[in-house]
Amino acid sequence: MTQIFAHKKSFWSFLILTVSFCVVIAVVLELLARTPWLEKISPYRSVDNFDYQFEIKWFRLQDYVKSHGGVDIIVLGSSLVNTGVDPDILAQTYYQQTGDHPRIFNFGVEGMTIAPNSLIARLLVERYHPALLIYVTEMRDYIAGLGLEYETPFLNDPWVQYQEGNFNPFGWAVDHSAALQHYLPFRNWARSDFSQTIAFYIKRFHDTSASGYEPDEGIGVNINILPNPNDPSEVQNFKDYGNYQIAASRLDNLKSILDFSKNQGTNVWVVEMPVHPTFYVYVGGEAVHQQFQQTISSFVTTNGGSFLPAEACLSTIPLNGRSNRWHLNYIGAPYFSSCLGDQLAIFVNQQHINPITTSAPR
Amino acid sequence: MNITSFVFIIFCAVSILVYWRLPQRFRIPWLFTVSMVFILTWSWNLAGILLVVATVNFFLGRWLGVAKDRRRILLWVGIGFNVLALVALKYSDFYVGALTKLLENMGVHTGAGGLLLLVPIGLSFIAVQMISYLVDIHNRILTPEARWLDFTLYVVYFPKMLSGPVERARIILPMFKQPKAPDAQAAERNFWLIVIGVVRKIVLADSLLAIIPAAIFVHPETFAGQDLVVYLLAYAFVIYNDFAGYTSIVRGVSGFFGIELTNNFKLPYFSRSISEFWERWHVSLSNWLRDYIFFPTSRALLKKIPKRDQIVNLVVPPIATMLVSGMWHGIGWNFLVWGGLHGFYLIIERVSTLWSPRRLLNELPKWRQVLSALGVFVLVVLAWIPFRMNLVTAWHYLSGMPSAFIWIKQLFWFIREKLAGTVAWNNWYGFSFLDSRVFILLIPALLLDWKQSRHKDETFFTKWPVWGKALFLAVLILVLVLISFADTGAPFIYVGF
Repeated sequence: MTQIFAHKKSFWSFLILTVSFCVVIAVVLELLARTPWLEKISPYRSVDNFDYQFEIKWFRLQDYVKSHGGVDIIVLGSSLVNTGVDPDILAQTYYQQTGDHPRIFNFGVEGMTIAPNSLIARLLVERYHPALLIYVTEMRDYIAGLGLEYETPFLNDPWVQYQEGNFNPFGWAVDHSAALQHYLPFRNWARSDFSQTIAFYIKRFHDTSASGYEPDEGIGVNINILPNPNDPSEVQNFKDYGNYQIAASRLDNLKSILDFSKNQGTNVWVVEMPVHPTFYVYVGGEAVHQQFQQTISSFVTTNGGSFLPAEACLSTIPLNGRSNRWHLNYIGAPYFSSCLGDQLAIFVNQQHINPITTSAPR
Repeated sequence: MNITSFVFIIFCAVSILVYWRLPQRFRIPWLFTVSMVFILTWSWNLAGILLVVATVNFFLGRWLGVAKDRRRILLWVGIGFNVLALVALKYSDFYVGALTKLLENMGVHTGAGGLLLLVPIGLSFIAVQMISYLVDIHNRILTPEARWLDFTLYVVYFPKMLSGPVERARIILPMFKQPKAPDAQAAERNFWLIVIGVVRKIVLADSLLAIIPAAIFVHPETFAGQDLVVYLLAYAFVIYNDFAGYTSIVRGVSGFFGIELTNNFKLPYFSRSISEFWERWHVSLSNWLRDYIFFPTSRALLKKIPKRDQIVNLVVPPIATMLVSGMWHGIGWNFLVWGGLHGFYLIIERVSTLWSPRRLLNELPKWRQVLSALGVFVLVVLAWIPFRMNLVTAWHYLSGMPSAFIWIKQLFWFIREKLAGTVAWNNWYGFSFLDSRVFILLIPALLLDWKQSRHKDETFFTKWPVWGKALFLAVLILVLVLISFADTGAPFIYVGF
């Protein structure tokens, strides 16, 4: 062993050289990743999150802010928002009503219930300071335990943890390295299903508009027929949504979103998604739905926000405008977005708020 | 504790540093302690079973060493004990169901989970080492170990505990007692052995394994012939790099303790004959099979029929040896067929020497060496089919492969049409491309083997200039960082045997 220590010097020079090469290679890759050239050939970016749709939205919003100088309104929610709200139509309708043209972005992400969305809302508000946050919600957001398969991995993700203020090297590296962000969409290149997953990812990346809207091309079948609890394909839905209860923890999440109007100066408007009325059969009927609306409406009002019930836009959506009982498709989304634009004008007028961010350049 | 984990690196670093700071008399107790700690991270039960197996064999060895008569009976008791322990614990899947049913029928209730037996990791490796220990004592080429601790360390020594190498007591026990402190050259070599092991395991084997669709080994009939061929090729390199990677890592680690472990893999896919393949593949087990199955069987047969060219003498020793090798890997018809196939290959090779005298492989013309290596590679790869799946599925796999010729025909048609100008060069409509990722990984895999073969040194990096080594390591570190983001980690295949 003494002989090994005799060669201490060469060992340390080898170590220093290795570390130096690591640094040099990393810096070169980092510089390369920040060139417009790479952005052109591979615009795909990731923060190693399991929900790649979140990543598409996260970076699309970054690009949107870069090209528009900021964002005035962020529409937040689940996949219902993703395929149901076209921000361009919403902004256009609002413009026709008011003469103002706000910069609106759709941040609807598949599988995100109110728990992860309350965190996402904080990240978006702290980073982009929008004038208005439209949180589009529905009854399923408030069922305890529903959507945990998305919530848990999302909230435990190293990058999300880093954003939460819990430092970890992975989260830090992913957040700061453009090279890593450009590599990560291809991180599973060695997986047997990679060709399918990457093709699907690229399709959705390109299907998503610059303002975050992703049209759904499906058209729902028999969605106006009441669901039958004895139908084997419906059993799980009745099991998941039956005995409907609003969980207190979910209300806490809603409160944390509403608190932005007090703490961050971002107004919050809670909008109920006009799902197909046959959905309410799962939860116990229209009476349960109305009770939900009362509870949420009074909760939102008490906490300084405003609530728009589903009925406000329900009648504007044609039957072929839905891809299933919950989601709107490419036919229904423009109707809802247009109606939401009208309602936004009324809301802004009633609340005397300005949905246009003044601080950010236009 | 996984041997490719960060925790293992820390564990080894601390163990090695303390080991060399201790006086020699404390080194064996220290190695024993760290080995037990390592085993306990896998399971308490495993630690208990290994201690029992070690203790029984220790006393059997002592008894065998002093016994004047009935030595053969004692030896067979020892062999029986080790085989029984292996069958009872490792192959419990095959009889636990039936035994539970039998006990239930007899009115003996075994509980909700039935008879849950332990499946100790590494027991196959330990069982063969114990048998060789007892046989060597019986044959008076080894004196029984007098110290229980030293002998038990031979059993539980953590670098070789999980998947070998299968070491002989007469070689490794003296190294425990007088370890050779690695000098700077040896330390560097050990370091690069670990690095090569990591490259083989994480970069090559794990990535290739992740590329192979899991369904191909379950429903091969749903895959095209060319895919069956490409993924079989990938599997051949997975199993090789996985096990060779493991061995390289543990040899490197053990080298830092001053204990040299056997090199289990000597570029087996470059073998020019099947017998050469078995001199290069899982060398420590192959040598064990040669010394304790092949030679004794040959000797016994030659005593009865003292003619080497007799059919029995030509056929029985290789087939018996390879069938035992098959059974060692697992109880199942597929393993027997795998072993049987290799036995058959060896017989053909032996029989062919009856008509033409055997020439040294190195004396053959280069083109014949290359052709032979290709032929051996194809035979070995084909034998991996029954090794990997049950016989019915293996048959589906094998019978699906010839349709690859249709693909080749299609490829030639496309090339011909493109050369004739009737189909545009960018038009490949209807043509199914092979999974290029397999070939991207096979290139560095073959390059690594080729470099090792050319330099006749597995740690050829040591001859590189410092900046070259540092650059290689830096690139590797960055590659490992990138790979760590993927969800493709896989356990070592041979830990399952």
